[in-house]
Amino acid sequence: MKSSRRWSNIVKPVVAVSSLVALAGCAKDAPQDTWQPAGPNAKMIDDLQRPIFYIAGIVGVIVFAAVAWAVFRFRDRGQAMPEQTHGKPALEITLTVIPVLILIGVGIPTVGTIFDLAKTDDTEMTINVTGQQWWWEYDYPAVGDNAQVYGISEPIVTSGQLVIPEDTKVLLRVTSRDVIHSYWIPKLNGKKDSVPGRVHLLRMEGSEPGIYAGQCTEFCGLSHAYMRMEAVVLSKADYATWVANQLEPYTSPSADNALALEGEKLYLQQCARCHQVNGLLNPDGTPNVAAPDQYVVSGAAPNLTNLMTRNTFAGASWDLLTPECRDDVWNATSEEFGEKYLAGVSEDCLNQKDLREWLRNAPEKKPMYADPTKLADTGGKYRGMPALGLTEDQINALVAYLLELK
Amino acid sequence: MAIIERPSSEVAVAGGATVGVKPSEALGVFKRPAASTSWRDWIVTVDHKKLGIMYGVAAFFFFIVGGLEAVLIRLQLIAPDGKVLNADQYNQMFTMHATTMVFLFVMPMAAAFANYFVPLQIGARDVAFPRINAFGFWCFLFGGIFLNTSWFLGGAADGGWFMYAPNSSTLFSPSHGIDFWSMGLQITGIASLTGAINLIVTILNMRAPGMKMMRMPIFTWMVLVVQFLLLFAIPVITVALFLLTFQRSFDATFFDVASGADPLLWQHLFWIFGHPEVYILILPSFGIVSEILPVFSKKPLFGYPIVAMSGAAIGFVGWGVWAHHMFASGLGPVSVTVFSLATMAIAVPTGVKIVNWVMTMWGGKLSFTVPMLFSIALVVQFTIGGLSGVTHAVAPSDTQQTDTYYIVAHFHYVLFGGAIFGLFAGFYYWWPKMFRKQLSESLGRWNFWLMVIGMNMTFGPMHMLGLQGQPRRMAVWTEARAGEGFFNLGFWNRISSIGSLVLSLGVLLFIINIVYTHKSKKVAIAPLDPWDGRTLEWMTDSPPKEHNFDSIPTINNLDEFFHRKYAQDATTHEITQVATAEEVLAEMNAHPDEHIHMPSRSYWPILLALALPVIGYGLIYNRVILAVGVAMIVLTMFGWAMEPSTAADDDFDPPAPGDGGGHTKELAPLG
Repeated sequence: MKSSRRWSNIVKPVVAVSSLVALAGCAKDAPQDTWQPAGPNAKMIDDLQRPIFYIAGIVGVIVFAAVAWAVFRFRDRGQAMPEQTHGKPALEITLTVIPVLILIGVGIPTVGTIFDLAKTDDTEMTINVTGQQWWWEYDYPAVGDNAQVYGISEPIVTSGQLVIPEDTKVLLRVTSRDVIHSYWIPKLNGKKDSVPGRVHLLRMEGSEPGIYAGQCTEFCGLSHAYMRMEAVVLSKADYATWVANQLEPYTSPSADNALALEGEKLYLQQCARCHQVNGLLNPDGTPNVAAPDQYVVSGAAPNLTNLMTRNTFAGASWDLLTPECRDDVWNATSEEFGEKYLAGVSEDCLNQKDLREWLRNAPEKKPMYADPTKLADTGGKYRGMPALGLTEDQINALVAYLLELK
Repeated sequence: MAIIERPSSEVAVAGGATVGVKPSEALGVFKRPAASTSWRDWIVTVDHKKLGIMYGVAAFFFFIVGGLEAVLIRLQLIAPDGKVLNADQYNQMFTMHATTMVFLFVMPMAAAFANYFVPLQIGARDVAFPRINAFGFWCFLFGGIFLNTSWFLGGAADGGWFMYAPNSSTLFSPSHGIDFWSMGLQITGIASLTGAINLIVTILNMRAPGMKMMRMPIFTWMVLVVQFLLLFAIPVITVALFLLTFQRSFDATFFDVASGADPLLWQHLFWIFGHPEVYILILPSFGIVSEILPVFSKKPLFGYPIVAMSGAAIGFVGWGVWAHHMFASGLGPVSVTVFSLATMAIAVPTGVKIVNWVMTMWGGKLSFTVPMLFSIALVVQFTIGGLSGVTHAVAPSDTQQTDTYYIVAHFHYVLFGGAIFGLFAGFYYWWPKMFRKQLSESLGRWNFWLMVIGMNMTFGPMHMLGLQGQPRRMAVWTEARAGEGFFNLGFWNRISSIGSLVLSLGVLLFIINIVYTHKSKKVAIAPLDPWDGRTLEWMTDSPPKEHNFDSIPTINNLDEFFHRKYAQDATTHEITQVATAEEVLAEMNAHPDEHIHMPSRSYWPILLALALPVIGYGLIYNRVILAVGVAMIVLTMFGWAMEPSTAADDDFDPPAPGDGGGHTKELAPLG
């Protein structure tokens, strides 16, 4: 009696937990779910891993059943001392050969997939991806098919969101400017480390227009948790529009937008040392060239040209869109997605709260080594964006200016 | 009987003549310490059993420290944008949690069991090098304390326990935390390396007559495999840590990309150590449950030679799988294939062990004592961890899983559900042997169930978190990436955090159980052979005398003690008890050995070990302190070298009374 009651005590939580686990498989729309491939590379991994998970599950159930049966059947009921057997060679060999066979069955498709995923000879587009503390830079070089097929006649440099055309075999050339990071968009492919001094190749291909979340997965120091990224897949037509927009020459804010004009001046004083805006002119008429290598340990700061065509800022840590506008883009159908994404960030949709907090005191919002009194170890250079000590009026002007960058 | 540290007043020289040699007396500053019952005896002891207990107490202290760090981590992650810790503190916390649990709890706790029980299991009186043994313990303790003082001296290491370059350089981690980390691990590494040599020599040379290798208890077998792993793995991390120290303290450029270095070098060095390290952590617990399952199934270990050899096979193949920690690091497809297949191959000997454990229980007569419960839980939980391990031996699938919580779930099932459950099984199993009292079984059951529930609640949901894309080592998680629905990442994070509190409660009950067992008058002294044991450690008093056995037994069987208690009828095959444990022991004690030499106590191990953290502080803060540390090393090594293993009678403190009889250097024949 006592033991059967004990058994029901064990069985109940086991049933409860396993049904929870089963339900969890249905957890809706986790944006970084590794079981929802949205491109052929991730699909290849998924096709390989699903059966392996099932096999592992079955083996597990068999082992648990054997343990449970042994525990139930052979418990001490006062039976005689069991025979002192030291083993049964035939049984042991059988039980060794079975896992060997299973693992051979797992190993063969694994090897095939490893080599399939490493293929790069059919690349249609190349993008340089560079990690640094704590954001990613995307450089679309104006060479080969990039220029001839996709219209990238001049290099495009962005950050925060990787933008790629649908059904296109994109090759990312991943590297780093400081420590090791790792590039990972789970729905498009597995991860690849970005290692300083090395270039690693990672295939990306999206089958459906949409926006796919990712996160730096190699511990990269203080703000590792805030180093996020998003990959945007656009239809080929929308992609051409995006490229054309990125390559449009810079124009200063119009004369009737005095606040934004003031913001442009302020930008030149406060931001342009590190952050490049292509085509922006200095007061003396010369092109402004940012020199982040003089101020930042990694030697780079996000290029802010066309900032408002992206939906995120500060290493994709925060959205440039308000939650409602963000959901509108993220949840759009694949037909509507391109149009909504290309609309960029309008004044109504701008996430004023996070952007203003960032401009007010960046290191308070995202942990960074940006205290000007503690830079002895880095030769006076920052790791991250320092607090600029801007007044609220200055922030208003800067926000008005940034809204023009699209 | 092989006693290595015997009095050396007579030395054989070439030609066969013996020459009297007067051993030089210890430097006079420290007279030879005599046996006593005060706390001072613990400072100077070289007794493997006392050192085992000291290893155990210190390791358990660090278990609590590492556990509190873990609870802080889980409290930080219980809700989005946690505010319990800031990012800097969080990074220190997970770095030190892993470092503490690996280097300061599981490894030394396994050393505690190995120290205490290997000599007993093989019928030896002590280990081969008792003073080295004491030195190893003090290195571990001082190294661990040194490492943890970084918390109070500007912050602990913040680069993760894997300490990847170049994030570990002074440019990216300017505090002294990583200096403390590398020097601290260097010091504890000395403990592991000397301990490994000591136990290998002990096991190979000091087994009782008749104890062939294939009659050794399986725990001793697993300890032997682990010591060989340590012997070859510790030098690798030693080199890596020296490179790191030179990089940080003396501007060496081993991992400096600008100087042409490749930071992947560190990863290879670290994991060439780091993967064998995983087996260093788990194999002692495999040994423990392989002792416990037969005892409480009343059957010998099923397939003993296969279990022993699969342990050795794991020890070999374990060297060829390190790069499976680096599938995303940009290795070429051929390398990835090799390491992927090697990793699958290691699943075979591991699976063999699980099969043999189940088969040991099969057909047995099972009694569910607390050590048995912990052992069965290990079999189940380790199986889960092993199967998730196979899913990331599949390299493409690993590129989705690595550095996510799925990996955290995997290795906690292996190391908490496996290694630590094995250690707890060992606590309950061997407690009456070490401390004469049996831990309360009813409190033990509460302890067990809370730990099982807590462990599965904490680490089970991490499978879901990882597969749904939550990376590791993030100081905060954000609602924006948590997904929709009730079972989103927030839900699983909460369950996991609550589970960690349940788990802590379980561990707390273990401590309460110890206090209760030893304070309550209701708990009687345990019988000599409380579990109906099968191996030699039960064939002596509880706790054993300093010299372990009055007479060294001659071994005729695997499970010698069982065969002295039970006999099988030749025709009916019925097994009947022919002697009680007390009778077996009385018979052994009736014919004690004539001369029992035991090693003498010494001050030098603790003094030499004390010099090492001084060097560490010197490297970090001040070259004068460094010079003091080096001087201490030289002087203590000289003192040690000059100290005879057993001193003259007049060299004791206090001096020997009268004619010098009655000291511990040589026990009078008993009986």
